[in-house]
Amino acid sequence: MALSSLFVSLPLPIPRPPSTSKSSRFLPIRASPAAAATASPSFDLRRYWTSLISEVEGELDAAMPIRPPESIHNAMRHAVLPGAGKEGAAKRAPPVLCVAACELLGAPRAAALPTAAALEMLHAASLVHDDLPCFDAAPTRRGRPSTHAAYGTDMAVLAGDALFPLAYTHVISRTPSPDPVSHAVLLRVLAELARTVGSTGMAAGQFLDLAGASALGEAEVMQVLTKKFGEMAECSAACGAMLGGAGPDEEAALRRYGRTIGVLYELVDDMRSASGNGKMRSNASVLRSLGMDRALGIVEELKAQAKTEADRFGDKYGDRVLPLYSFVDYAVERGFELQDAATAKL
Amino acid sequence: NSALDAAVPAGEPPAALHDAMRYALLAGGKRVRPALCLAACVVSGGREAWAMAPAAAVEMVHTMSLVHDDLPCMDDDDLRRGKATCHVVYGEPIAVLAGDALLALAFEHMASVDSYPPDVDPAKHAARVVRSIGELARCIGSEGLVAGQVVDLEMTGSTETVPLDRLEYIHLHKTAALLEASVVIGAIIGGGSEEQIERLRKYARSIGLLFQVVDDILDVTKSSEELGKTAGKDLASDKTTYPKLLGLEKSREFAEKLLSDAKEQLADFDKEKAAPLLYLANYIAYRQN
Repeated sequence: MALSSLFVSLPLPIPRPPSTSKSSRFLPIRASPAAAATASPSFDLRRYWTSLISEVEGELDAAMPIRPPESIHNAMRHAVLPGAGKEGAAKRAPPVLCVAACELLGAPRAAALPTAAALEMLHAASLVHDDLPCFDAAPTRRGRPSTHAAYGTDMAVLAGDALFPLAYTHVISRTPSPDPVSHAVLLRVLAELARTVGSTGMAAGQFLDLAGASALGEAEVMQVLTKKFGEMAECSAACGAMLGGAGPDEEAALRRYGRTIGVLYELVDDMRSASGNGKMRSNASVLRSLGMDRALGIVEELKAQAKTEADRFGDKYGDRVLPLYSFVDYAVERGFELQDAATAKL
Repeated sequence: NSALDAAVPAGEPPAALHDAMRYALLAGGKRVRPALCLAACVVSGGREAWAMAPAAAVEMVHTMSLVHDDLPCMDDDDLRRGKATCHVVYGEPIAVLAGDALLALAFEHMASVDSYPPDVDPAKHAARVVRSIGELARCIGSEGLVAGQVVDLEMTGSTETVPLDRLEYIHLHKTAALLEASVVIGAIIGGGSEEQIERLRKYARSIGLLFQVVDDILDVTKSSEELGKTAGKDLASDKTTYPKLLGLEKSREFAEKLLSDAKEQLADFDKEKAAPLLYLANYIAYRQN
């Protein structure tokens, strides 16, 4: 089947190829709220995601009280927390993935929540620096002025510099440790977080992106996507796995799952932006380098990979694997808008 | 220096990013912070090798703060330790990323089990490292190093003279906080008692302030060549300094007082093991650049 012709002839979201519900053990996952109601008692991703977002944002809010010097704390809050109304609502995919991986293994949500919030801080810190005039010079982010536009370039550099250590402080001070999370596990989580934002992870992705990998071939472009987005998602899943007490095989599978989901999510995002009028989030757009046909092929490959990894957990953990499947479908279909859900609580 | 050299991979992609990190990190320098960290570990009953990774980490954090501090949007310095600054050589975006990567590497290096020798106390080591990482993160964040830089930035734009307590706030955060982290982390990793850790914390605060007072004095009394950086810059930029607020003589007296405060904190430690810390305090007080 010519997927490309399907894609251009049908309205977004990208249509799901027929017969995806191959497993009879699981009800088909529907991401849209209307579908979820009819498919009850199927897993409701929207409710799961929404409740987690409010918990994570509660953590973030509490972690950054406004204290002297106020200017820097205001800038940090601006970078991490959504504004009033619809502006600035974030989907918080990394923390949701982290908590889902932890809960999959049967561990309490409280073990993963501080790390989930830390992932958002690290993510926000790198976005603040990525938006600086010497990089993307982005005047807005999530529909609001970017941090440097609102607080000045110097304050934006410092806000990023302060968010990185705050993430580690938060994990250390809020994770229930040494019980149920041992100090040794906590150290592995801290090392994982630091490695992911470091010179071989996200900073490498930003650097490669800066160097203009879009002019290069598929391997280079995929490398940017993997470094900039795949590794963050891998880190989220891996941290959730460690905090949930995963064995080595489970951790490895969740890593692969996370990395695949991260790239998948970004790739679909690029395709949606290219079809609409949104801004490319990555300079190394797969579409520009590879064309829509190849991009659609990669989407299908990634989807199959992610489902294969999730399948490993089905027998052992039953319904707790459902969030993992639902992320795959959500990444591709974007069946609902989380902005509404996230701001409904405000 | 060899621990730092080994910690940042050369030749691994992306090469230019790693080159920029190594350029900034291996540019020489006095390595006061790592030295303090190692000495504090030994004086608290540990072995120097236990604290080698944390010592490298504090130097990485220090370097990162210098790289970002030198950026055009901040202090806009072209020269550091007699060499062109990181953003002059590699460009602004890479300098921002190299700083971020050094900060991340510091924490990764500290948290990794592989960074420590096999003879650390297996029952206590992990808890000590967790606490040390928390201490480092707190000292360099929005209530530590960054707080000092923020208040400093806010003062730079103002024409008013900075009052003494404000100046002290800036230096306690901008300079002393990381020296405090270096010493306290060394003491924690070395297995020091709570009382020892707090004594060393006070020692570090005193020498941190001392460091800055001496810096201010040197800026008005030495030449650019002797300092390896632009001399008289404070005066030219109308920056508030101790000599300006107190006069040169009173600043020197203040430095003496801080030095004796620092030494007092060392009185109860083993004399032989405390000798390096005593030496470092004297070095900071009497250095010529």
